[in-house]
Order: sequence, then C-alpha cells, then structure tokens
Amino acid sequence: MRRFPAILLLLAALAPLAWPAQAEDLVSGISQDVIQITSNYTGTSIVVFGAIERPLGAEGRDIVVVVRGPDTTLTVRKRERIAGVWVNSDAARLVGMPAFYYMASTRPLEAIATPSSLTRYGIGEHHLVPQKIVSHHDPRPFQLAALRHLEREGLYNEAPGSIDFLSETLFRTRVPVPAGVARGQYNVEVYLFRGGEVVSAQSTPLFVDQTGLERRLFNFARDAPFWYGLAAVAMSILLGWISSVLFRRPA
Amino acid sequence: MEIYLPVAEMSVHWMVIVGLGGVAGLVSGMFGVGGGFLLTPLLVFYGIPSTVAVATTLSHVTASSMSGALSQWRRRAIDFAMAGVMLAGGLAGTGFGVWLFALMRRQGQMDLIVSLSYVLLLGTIGTIMLRESLNSLRSVRVGAPGRLRAVSRVRMAGLPLKMRFRQSRLYISIIPPIGIGFVVGALGAIMGIGGGFVMVPAMIYLLRMPTNVVMGTSLTQIIGVTTITTVLQATSNYAVDIMLALFLIVGGVIGAQLGVRISGRLRGEHLRLLLAIVVLAVCMGLLWGLVARPDDVYSLSLGAQ
Repeated sequence: MRRFPAILLLLAALAPLAWPAQAEDLVSGISQDVIQITSNYTGTSIVVFGAIERPLGAEGRDIVVVVRGPDTTLTVRKRERIAGVWVNSDAARLVGMPAFYYMASTRPLEAIATPSSLTRYGIGEHHLVPQKIVSHHDPRPFQLAALRHLEREGLYNEAPGSIDFLSETLFRTRVPVPAGVARGQYNVEVYLFRGGEVVSAQSTPLFVDQTGLERRLFNFARDAPFWYGLAAVAMSILLGWISSVLFRRPA
Repeated sequence: MEIYLPVAEMSVHWMVIVGLGGVAGLVSGMFGVGGGFLLTPLLVFYGIPSTVAVATTLSHVTASSMSGALSQWRRRAIDFAMAGVMLAGGLAGTGFGVWLFALMRRQGQMDLIVSLSYVLLLGTIGTIMLRESLNSLRSVRVGAPGRLRAVSRVRMAGLPLKMRFRQSRLYISIIPPIGIGFVVGALGAIMGIGGGFVMVPAMIYLLRMPTNVVMGTSLTQIIGVTTITTVLQATSNYAVDIMLALFLIVGGVIGAQLGVRISGRLRGEHLRLLLAIVVLAVCMGLLWGLVARPDDVYSLSLGAQ
C-alpha cells in the first residue's frame, strides 16, 4: 500500500503530457474592439494581452500574435523602359491577401515552428499564401515586391521577439495601427506554441470604421454619387462667388 | 492638424493642402489662368492618388473660374452664345475623356497617360510662350510692335452651320468652336484642368474673337465643363474628394488675391516670361519622373485596379 501515493504522483506528473490541450490553455483580450477613424485620425495602437492557464513552465513555450486586415486584391505592376520612358508592362494580381498584417512573437519564427506549420496558420508575412494568383510569369518577384511596398507603407509589419511575459503566465504586446489602414473587420489571433505545435489559439474580431462626418461623406460619395458630384460643384460655385464678393475690387 | 480625406482614404496635413491650393491660386491670380495644370501634378507629387487629384482639382478650377467669371460678367464681357456652343463640344469631349480615363485606369496606364499628356501640353505651350515673351521683350526694347501670327479665317469661311455671335461681332460656323470645346473638355477630364490656357489662344487666333470677351467667355465655358466633369468623375470613378476640394479652394482663394496684387506690379511681358518658366519647370519635373530610373520598378495598388 505504500506505493500507491507514488503512482498517483507519477500519474499527476504524466497527465499534462498525455492531454496537453486540456492542461495548458490560453485566454486573451484586446484593449479596444473598435477603431474609429475620425477627421484627425493619424494612427493609433491597440494592446493585445493574455494569460496562459495551467502553465507547464516557460521552457519550449511561445506566443505569437497576428493581426490581419480585411482581404483585398493586391495589384503589382512592373515598369519597363520603352523608348526611354518607364511604362507599366507586366502585372500580377494577388487575390485574397490581407490589407493589413502584423505579427509579434516571443522568439524569431524559425525558432518557434517549421515553415509548413507557419504556412498552415498564415503566420509571418512570407508564409501568407494568396487565394489566387493571376500572373503571366513567375509571381514570386511580384509577391516579394508587394511585401516590400506594404512594409514601406507600414501596412505589413513584423516584430519577432517583441512579446514579453510580465509574469510566468501573463503576456502583453502593443500593435501599432497606422494612418492608412483600410476599413473593415480585422482579426486578432493569439497562438500558443509548445514544441513547435499550436496547442491553443484564440481569435477576436477588431473593427476599423470611419465615423462622423468622414463616414457620412464616404457613404454619400458611394451611395448617391450623382448628388455628391453636384454637391461638390455647388460648394465650389458658392465659394467662388463668396470670394468674388469678398475681394471685389473697386472698378 | 491632420485631416482625413474620406474618398482618397488618407490623412494629410491641412496646411499643406491649403498651401498647394494657394500656389495654384497665386499662379491663377498672377497670370489669369486656372492653375489646374499646376495643381494636379503638385497633388500627385504630394502622394494623392492621381485619379483623385485629377477629379478633385476640377472643383478648384470651378471655384476660381466662378470668381473670375463674375467679375467679367459685371463688365458685360461674356459671350454666352459662344460659351454655349463651346460647351456643347465640351460635353462630348468630357464624355470621351471620362471614358478614356476609366479605360486607362483599368489598363494600369493612368499615371503614364496623365504624365505624358502634361509633358506634351506644358512643353508645347511653355515653349511657345517663352518664345513669344522673349520676342516681345526684344521688340519692346527695339521699339517695334510684336508680330502676331495671324491664322486666316478664310479657311473656315467655307464651313456650314453658320451662326451669329452678337457679343463677339462674329458670323462663323459653329464647327470650330465645338471642336475647340471638345478638345478642351477631353483634356479637362484626363488632366483635371479647365483648359483656359489652351482655349484662350485658340479663341483669339483661330476664331478671331475680340480679346475683351475671350476671358469671360472661356471662364463661363470652363464652369460648364468642370461642373459636368465633376459629376461624371463622381459617378463613374468615385474620385472626387469633397474635403480635399474644400481646403484646396480656401487656399486658392487666398492665393489668387495675392497673385492679383503681385501681377499689378509686374509688366505683362515679364509676367508671361515668368509663367513660361513655371510651365516649363513643371513639364521638366514630370518628364524627369517618366525617364528617370524608378527606385523600385515594381509598384503596388490595393484593390483590383
């Protein structure tokens, strides 16, 4: 009978290895779930935070945070010199790419997981696969060019190794959202990796929307373009008339 | 303070936009042209998408033309019949231009077409003006009057559909004014200009209109054309940004007043020489953008176009 507690202890120690998903879990949240684009919007940032429940220790454990914008089509054009002038000569369309992409992680991605599992989850901008590629030639240089441009405009960003644990279980990271972001539904995804495998993941929607006057003007321009055009003309004529009255010079 | 442009979908600094409008207004006040030819390239240099720049500059042109046309109207210096006939041609030209604009945008050649048209037009006009103003400066010094190249009206005398234009004291076929209107309308849609600096010489040298009604008549025709083009651009390309237009106009109004005051202190020949230099400088800037090796031969646009 003296051996019984020892067996229990052994079982308790082995249990997490046998059912890791049940043992270690992820809870996460974001500081705000709506970003309002107002007239003086120049970019903002959101905080993604979370905790690991029933942690199994810091060794071999990684957190990856991914923020994806709404899907869009990227049109990449290549210029060529024709008769001394640089002309768009070739184009590739990447259908179904996020308009915004941000990735933060505890360590460099290659240290966390294999390329194939990163591609499966779309983690890391070089592991993003478009739904469809329309191209006459090898699309690879076009894809690289697209990433280069998106990074330059701040729409794609990676911050490997930027996530720090506040305690053994608590983590937090700040995601910059620049000025030129598209409206629509974004997804904030948090992945918990252990030994190169995703053991838990959570996804939270984030909405980016225009508000106030900008929203109304945008809707006006889209929903009633004829009247919107007339309104633009009326405004111009009115302002032209006012200026002529204001600055009327004695003849 | 940054302002968010709802159609261009980008943030800009309001002082930059008012400043750009002001520069165009200054030029228009100094030289009596719309200033659109300067504003579109400036907006594109600043980073506004060229489709939005072309379509929105039209609002700026409408406002400055309105202001100018009103003061001409007070002097009874507008030939409304002529403006109406040219507007008819302008309508057709605008429709053609907006169609071409949408086609080019789909083909991805929009920027090229806009730049090329600007280089051709500004290069031609700038060179003509430079030569003309240098010649007249020289002849003023010598004391002889500057020679004007007279285009014969005899060639147009055979054309049908004659009409009497009381204000201009002309009895001519309506085909040449319609043709001029068409060309200017198409230019307006593609380049975002009123086309005054194309139309005014054409009216003087081709139609032989009296100089005193030329300015008011062309401004009136420009208001008509830009009104229609703005509505067409808004409906077919969703490219008019009313917020951008507002700040451009405010800058333009202030700039125009400054320009008028400056021009009062300068001689006509000097003004034209200065304008020729400005026109050629913009032309050279655009030409450089076309022939210089780009930093990145790849460019990216979000969306299917």
